[in-house]
Amino acid sequence: MKELASKILKYRWIIIIVVLSITAFLGYQIKNMQINSDVISSLPDDDPDAFLFKKIGQNFGGNKVGMVILEADNIFNNEVLAHVQLITDSLSMMDGISTVTSISNIIDIRGGENGFEVGQLIDEYALPYSQEELDRLKNRVLEKDMYRGVIVSIDETATLIIFTLFDDSDLQEMAGRVKRMTHSLNLPENLYYAGLPMMVGEIADLIAADLIVLLPIAFLVIALVLALSFRTVRGVVLPMLTATIAIIWTLGFMVLGGYEMSMVTNNIPLLLLAVGSAYTIHVINKINQVKENDFRKAMVVAMTYIFIPVALTALTTVVGFISFVFEAYLVMIRDFGIFSALGALVSAFLALFFAPAIMYAFSSKKRKTADHSELSKDSVLSNYLLRPLTKLLFNHPKYTLTTWSLLIILSIGGIFLIERNVDVKDYFQKDSPARKAEEIMIEKFGGSKPIFVLFKGDMQNPEVLNTMLRTEEQIKKDPHVESSQSIANLIVEMNDALGEGRKIPDEQDKVEQLWFLIDGNPILQQLVNDDLDEGLIISKFAADNSDATRKFASDMAQFLEVNSTEDCEIILTGMPFIDLKMNSSLLTSQIRSLSIAIIALIILVGFFMRSLAKGLYATAPIIAAIVILFGVMGVAGIPLNIATVLVASVALGIGVDYSIHVITYFNYSYNGHNLGEALEDTIMVSGKAIFINVVSVSAGFLVLVFSEMVPLQFFGILMALSMVGSGLAALTLLPVILVLVHRKHLTIND
Amino acid sequence: MTRFTLLVILVVFFIGIESIEAQDAKELLQKMDDIMFSPVDKQGNIEIILTDKNGVEKLREATFIQNAKGEKVYRYTKPESQAGIATLSLPDGIMWMYMPAFGKPKKITMLAKSQAFSGTDFAYEDMAMRSYSERYEPVLIESNGGIYHVMNLIPISDKSNYSKIVVYLDKANFYPIRMEFYDKARKKRKESTYKYHKVGEYWNAEKVVMTDLKKQHSTTILLSDVKFNQNIPDEDFTVEKLKPKSAE
Repeated sequence: MKELASKILKYRWIIIIVVLSITAFLGYQIKNMQINSDVISSLPDDDPDAFLFKKIGQNFGGNKVGMVILEADNIFNNEVLAHVQLITDSLSMMDGISTVTSISNIIDIRGGENGFEVGQLIDEYALPYSQEELDRLKNRVLEKDMYRGVIVSIDETATLIIFTLFDDSDLQEMAGRVKRMTHSLNLPENLYYAGLPMMVGEIADLIAADLIVLLPIAFLVIALVLALSFRTVRGVVLPMLTATIAIIWTLGFMVLGGYEMSMVTNNIPLLLLAVGSAYTIHVINKINQVKENDFRKAMVVAMTYIFIPVALTALTTVVGFISFVFEAYLVMIRDFGIFSALGALVSAFLALFFAPAIMYAFSSKKRKTADHSELSKDSVLSNYLLRPLTKLLFNHPKYTLTTWSLLIILSIGGIFLIERNVDVKDYFQKDSPARKAEEIMIEKFGGSKPIFVLFKGDMQNPEVLNTMLRTEEQIKKDPHVESSQSIANLIVEMNDALGEGRKIPDEQDKVEQLWFLIDGNPILQQLVNDDLDEGLIISKFAADNSDATRKFASDMAQFLEVNSTEDCEIILTGMPFIDLKMNSSLLTSQIRSLSIAIIALIILVGFFMRSLAKGLYATAPIIAAIVILFGVMGVAGIPLNIATVLVASVALGIGVDYSIHVITYFNYSYNGHNLGEALEDTIMVSGKAIFINVVSVSAGFLVLVFSEMVPLQFFGILMALSMVGSGLAALTLLPVILVLVHRKHLTIND
Repeated sequence: MTRFTLLVILVVFFIGIESIEAQDAKELLQKMDDIMFSPVDKQGNIEIILTDKNGVEKLREATFIQNAKGEKVYRYTKPESQAGIATLSLPDGIMWMYMPAFGKPKKITMLAKSQAFSGTDFAYEDMAMRSYSERYEPVLIESNGGIYHVMNLIPISDKSNYSKIVVYLDKANFYPIRMEFYDKARKKRKESTYKYHKVGEYWNAEKVVMTDLKKQHSTTILLSDVKFNQNIPDEDFTVEKLKPKSAE
């Protein structure tokens, strides 16, 4: 290690130039970073439900359907209808939009004696004006299943303008253009936006806003904490510089690997700002601690000592992050695991190689006495916190142990109260327009979560079509399903309009000839494929609780078992079922990733310290902190969601570092007899670094409370809580364990 | 010559030019109508090819008859599943359709003129039986040089889908070579090209391609075995005649 330390100092300029060159190259790549806020694209292909859902979205264009929700006191009003028409016409003229359907242009088929009329619900050139005309329109809308609760809400206060994007349209870009266009109309009604393209656009805006606003704030907050702690330029600049470079490298690698920024990987820069600065803080702190006037010698001594702890803490952090790769349901969580782990490695590399190189290159070779102020044991922190703490722990170890035990027991009770939540609407803040849109869709349009029933068979075969109708009836038996759409429905409507009754014709010839009337209609693309051997029932599910979804899934499974045949295979999928999977995967992935991480940590730390017992001691504080974290989540009602599920393993990876530093320094100081001194030395030296680190990292994560996305707010709060918990555990619980374990070696003086 | 006299002469001169140009445009459009809306009956075979942006084609084939009043009868032969379907289109937007499987003709009233015609890229407005002169005000844009006149057709009715249609008219024979359809946002949305061929003394559009530029979807209409002036009796354009004798 000593040799390596010497070489780092010798080749400092080469290291600096290489690091800066790589940073310039990777930084240049970041300009190509894309934001992917499409949750659907993150569903795993190895889950049949998710795979089918994605396939249906692509093949039948469902993922390209967006909605403008217009809310007014009463939709059946001439002025409101004119505004709906204005939006409809304006959307129709936009490039990238394929079809637009609203009350102002929706097709209306009316049966007559000899045939039928194909027209529009509203004459686009003479909107209903008199009360009589408006009432007639209202009655027509409310009597038809295809309009009531589908295009106009039953309470008559909201209407949808539904648009379909072309396959090659950019969802995010289109969402922005649709919003800008509708805002520019300056309409008096409330406008909201729903559907996947708009949701994706909304989330992308929030991700971008978070990155642009929160990252610089976190940067400033951490820099401020470091400035107050170290009171030197070097103490602020170096940790921030290495963290920034680590972020640039990681994002650059993401771009080179073809990965995109998601609503989870969005956290990586902030995480690396916290983690990346921590390694350098420990390196600087150690260099400052060495009582040696020759700066080169001081650095070599410090680096020789710090190399193993920092490398080990980096490895443990990587273990915590990488544990997601094996167990996460969503692809974006796996990506988060991979790149946050990579970022941690880069951060450690920079802390161990680049930071000392910079320090040595830009410092005077003779140490000034002022430098020692950074390591002064007589600081406020040392005098009023660390030293009294040492006395308390050493004199009353059992009090501390009892306090921790009580906290853990209480927290275990809280764990059973933890709820899970994967509902997309809860990603948004209570007063946000996106959440309001979701609520309107649920309250007034029978939900926002699509259900698809895929039929594989001849779509012009009356038997298949009748099975489709029966399936629709079965779906609608569930109280959470209000309406559905299918080709079978359309055929029944046309057959009825021809005066042949509300049924599927008995002969296939008739179905084929009815098809002539709808051939080329855009709606067909959403209901059947080009070869007419696959068809879809599209519906929506209004409940957002798992029990209702489970009951619906089980009722449908029974029905499908009886009705699915070789000639007419029926498969059910939909967002509620995927939510159910995600929901249960939250718990399993949480348990498994934590178990993997804990076992790996015990083995890893045990191996490096050549003692399994030390591996256990090192992980005990962070496990205690995580138990308390879960307890707080349960008691405070913070749910396990796609962001908070990350906290425990991330906290484990970062938090165990504190224990490693404590144990390493304790081993370094303890000679078998001086337990009290070793403990004091450990807490005074490691304690300061840990304290600074906990405060800076927590402050960085707490910036997330200003995030636009609710899961990230919780993520920030819980990460800060975990950091405080694990730091506190490393400085109180761990020393107490060390005292109790080594008590038999106490000397009389101790 | 006083300034006032000069001004009067100039005003008269320019108004004169404008009215001559308007006159020219109207005459040109009338000549185009004379070719497109043939004064005699017509019969032949029609192929309709729908091509999507991936190049996937769908084919329909039919025989057709048409009279000078603009009444049309199509009898579909392909695709197989729709063979035997016959339609009688009347100028007032009413269509009678005979579907063999249902036995008797059904009346379909098309009220939504802006809708696409049966999956093609033609709107009902494009297929109207009324002449362009009745529906549009022509403005001559370019007439000098080249092989065609260029005219803007401005819809007279505000119920049109279009803000204007730009017509490129063959100078020698007055049939359209190309039409460009602009939507109300004044963006070019559709384009049609025409290939005319003389059958006897009449010009026949043997190939028309209508392309929806936004959807990148096109409809090609190919007419073959076209015969004019066959004295097709009026009774062939009645509902009763839609059902073929073989089906009775």
